[in-house]
Amino acid sequence: MANITKKVSWSSRADESGAAGEGTPLLNGSEQPRHSRQPSEGGSLCQIGRLSTVDLEEEITSDEESQRGRPKEIPHNEKLLSLKYESLDYDNIENQLFLEEERKMSYMGFRCLEISRWVVCGLIGFLTGLIACFIDIVVEQLAGIKYQVVKENIEKFTEVGGLSISLLLWAVLNSAIVMLGAIIVAFFEPIAAGSGIPQIKCYLNGIKIPRVVRLKTLVVKVGGVICSVVGGLAVGKEGPMIHSGAVVAAGVSQGRSTSLKRDFKIFEYFRRDTEKRDFVSAGAAAGVSAAFGAPVGGVLFSLEEGASFWNQMLTWRIFFASMISTFTLNFFLSIYHNKPGELSNPGLINFGRFQGDSVAYNLYEIPLFIAMGAIGGLLGALFNVLNYWLTIFRIRYVHRPCLQVMEAMLVAAVTATVSFTMIYFSNDCQPLGPEHTEEYPLQLFCADGEYNSMATAFFNTPERSVRSLFHNQPGTYNPLTLGLFTLTYFFLACWTYGLAVSAGVFIPSLLIGAAWGRLCGIMLATITPDGSIWADPGKYALIGAAAQLGGIVRMTLSLTVIMVEATGNVTYGLPIMLVLMTAKIVGDYFVEGLYDIHIKLQSVPFLHWEAPATSHWLTAREVMSSPVTCLNRIEKVGTIVDTLSNTSTNHNGFPVVVKVSGSDEPPKLCGLILRSQLIVLLKHKVFSIHVSQDERECMMDLTEFMNATPYTVPQETSLPRVFKLFRALGLRHLVVVDDENRVVGLVTRKDLARYHLGKHGLEELQLAQT
Amino acid sequence: MLLSFGVMRSREIPGCHMITTVRPVIAASWASYTNISVDQVGPGNVSCRDSLLHSDRLMLVFQLYNNLKNLWDSSGCKNCITAGLQSPTNDTLYFMATLHQTTSCFDKYQHGNHTELCKNCKNTYKDLNELYSRMEKNQTLCIDIEDAMNMTRKEWSKKFNCSFPREETVPVIAVSSFMLFLPIIFYLSSFLHSEQKKRKLIHPKRAKSYTSLMNIQDKQS
Repeated sequence: MANITKKVSWSSRADESGAAGEGTPLLNGSEQPRHSRQPSEGGSLCQIGRLSTVDLEEEITSDEESQRGRPKEIPHNEKLLSLKYESLDYDNIENQLFLEEERKMSYMGFRCLEISRWVVCGLIGFLTGLIACFIDIVVEQLAGIKYQVVKENIEKFTEVGGLSISLLLWAVLNSAIVMLGAIIVAFFEPIAAGSGIPQIKCYLNGIKIPRVVRLKTLVVKVGGVICSVVGGLAVGKEGPMIHSGAVVAAGVSQGRSTSLKRDFKIFEYFRRDTEKRDFVSAGAAAGVSAAFGAPVGGVLFSLEEGASFWNQMLTWRIFFASMISTFTLNFFLSIYHNKPGELSNPGLINFGRFQGDSVAYNLYEIPLFIAMGAIGGLLGALFNVLNYWLTIFRIRYVHRPCLQVMEAMLVAAVTATVSFTMIYFSNDCQPLGPEHTEEYPLQLFCADGEYNSMATAFFNTPERSVRSLFHNQPGTYNPLTLGLFTLTYFFLACWTYGLAVSAGVFIPSLLIGAAWGRLCGIMLATITPDGSIWADPGKYALIGAAAQLGGIVRMTLSLTVIMVEATGNVTYGLPIMLVLMTAKIVGDYFVEGLYDIHIKLQSVPFLHWEAPATSHWLTAREVMSSPVTCLNRIEKVGTIVDTLSNTSTNHNGFPVVVKVSGSDEPPKLCGLILRSQLIVLLKHKVFSIHVSQDERECMMDLTEFMNATPYTVPQETSLPRVFKLFRALGLRHLVVVDDENRVVGLVTRKDLARYHLGKHGLEELQLAQT
Repeated sequence: MLLSFGVMRSREIPGCHMITTVRPVIAASWASYTNISVDQVGPGNVSCRDSLLHSDRLMLVFQLYNNLKNLWDSSGCKNCITAGLQSPTNDTLYFMATLHQTTSCFDKYQHGNHTELCKNCKNTYKDLNELYSRMEKNQTLCIDIEDAMNMTRKEWSKKFNCSFPREETVPVIAVSSFMLFLPIIFYLSSFLHSEQKKRKLIHPKRAKSYTSLMNIQDKQS
């Protein structure tokens, strides 16, 4: 028995057997492996067109043989789908046991459940806020220590000479800290790399990404993001908050932890993919809310990314979780800053208050904003294309963990080098006011009482730099400084995203956009006659930041609301919306958003909102997998074991068929059972003992455990209709039947996701082993 | 009266001194101002305070007093002048003494080579700077001290050009080029030596399209 369970629980191991022509499905316990197209679906195939069936068989066998000869291997590209990703079981498995449980629950029971859902959402918000608070405080403390050390060193060596030693010190400090962050990600939990938003997008789409919502992932993510930000990489800490929020939600709602191997015996009703996915939506929203201080933006983010199954109560609960999250963060940060109850830090990134006369905009500035949106779209497309090629290179060549760690260290060292060199050669000095907002003003070669203006951009955490760009007085920044900064930071950020470190891309995009936006504002002020009155550079910095971020991530609704909430001023809603729309339209003409690119490169079978246009000519028959491995309602254990341990096919759902007794008709569909259920049944030996002691001869009755009412579609159903049913209900398996309710094929996510609209019309992606 | 004071504002008349000269006059008027009780009511049932002070749109007395009060607060003069407004505090006197040392050092060497000046006056200037930073941290600064320090700093950096020159261009460039070169080597070596990750394609079993078959048969028949 143990042998079988080991074999059948593989699910993501590489397929050693090679080409997929080998084992043919067993059916009815018949030990006839070479009987290729089986009678149950072959029955209907037989009836269709006798002549063609014969051709059909010959053609397929000849294909098979040629395939068996040469298993094709190609270098990794974006047009592949991986076999290792399965759908979540969002659709309830309504077997007799489940129905009995549901019928037993009283009205009070359902009310208690509803209340406990609210409690869980509140808990999710609270814990997410605490985690955000923790990250913020630790980053502030550690970054403060690092900048203090480097600043003292620079000041010492400015006088006596030997500044190259300061450079080396800065680079070594950066490398060491980032090395720590990269090691925990690359060696312990690779799924924690990147910002986590692509993985959560996939999870909300209904794909089971292995290990993405485990406690270990959370720990590695939090540690990784702290190391990345303190290590001075061109990254942000806001994106990883979304992933953290989702992990918290998945963990808290299940009432148990696989990493810690503890079961707290609570929330057992919620241990289903349906409830889990809904709570993860709440967790993601709480994460966005804690990151940006934008509760409504968080709700809309979950809506935009995950809504295939949306309802009012869910929205309400998610909003509750977001509000609790931002409030918790605000409260604890105010305590930390010794101003309890002041509540002025609603999020990890604080854009500051945009108020006053200078920040109002006029109607004639709207075309300027739209132009900036177009520029943002172009720059964003450039960023995405460069990052795409870099990521392909990394997947193909830099795939060993030690190489990934080394790459991260090199990036950190080069970031320090570039920053130092820029600061060193900058001649831009600004006077130090009494209420200066610079935490670590570097004087370097400026006159006394002045500080190096380039250092305010480079020698700071990115969040603070963004704030300075938004709110500093006109004249604080030299155009040349800003231009050089934009250029270098753009390439640094593009290089950094995709490393094996936990890092987000929101803040670097905002920073790049704020820099060139401010530059636009300064240029406008010099070009136009009374520009210095209305062309406030801080306002243009905000618009530039929104444009650049929209150009890179291509989020529309949620990003607009996040930016509006983060600036605390609804007045900016219209310009920001126009800018983001423009950036998206312009950028989409060239290339997709950054997260979508990374999802494609990971070969995830992502289902979009609708089936690709011009796919109406495809029917379920072309889409489905056929033939299908079916099981009888009362099946021999030996057959079940053989089916499950057949490593050449990756089936996780098996239609259950029943033979009408006494007749020769092919069996009809009566249910659907999952691999996981079969494994549990085998483990617990739920079968009746037959006369002979050999367990393989025992019979197992699947009636009670199978889903007796699986969704089916006739085989002539068009692809868009199948797609809509599959996506809207969050299905995992959809059985295709003929007009006599006999199983013809099975539609899974991978069958649907392989069609997408490419540059030359409808394209089909290929399946690969990854 | 105030304007003429402002015009005379120069290095020789420290700001706090000016303010303290004017302050008693205004303080006296404010005393009488606050003494006007709210309760006292004049003819027509209007409070005395309102009729005296808020009678015109400008509210001249009120505004003048407020502005001077703000000036006093923001200049921080209370850090430099003792409580009785009689004389500067000890800290201020010490600062002025150090400043005097520095300026006399400047005066001594200013006609010669500026590098001589930079070398000889460096220690006194450094002491002055450190004293200033300490006072800044303790927040015992007032506008007079800040102004004086600013002037001295401007002289030191701009007039005598004594701040640090950028000498180390070559080592910095060398180290940074080396650092920038490392990733190129890294990527080249991983491109040449790493095994390229390949993906094995899987060809799943599919049923032949019924509709296309039907179409073919229809077309043939």
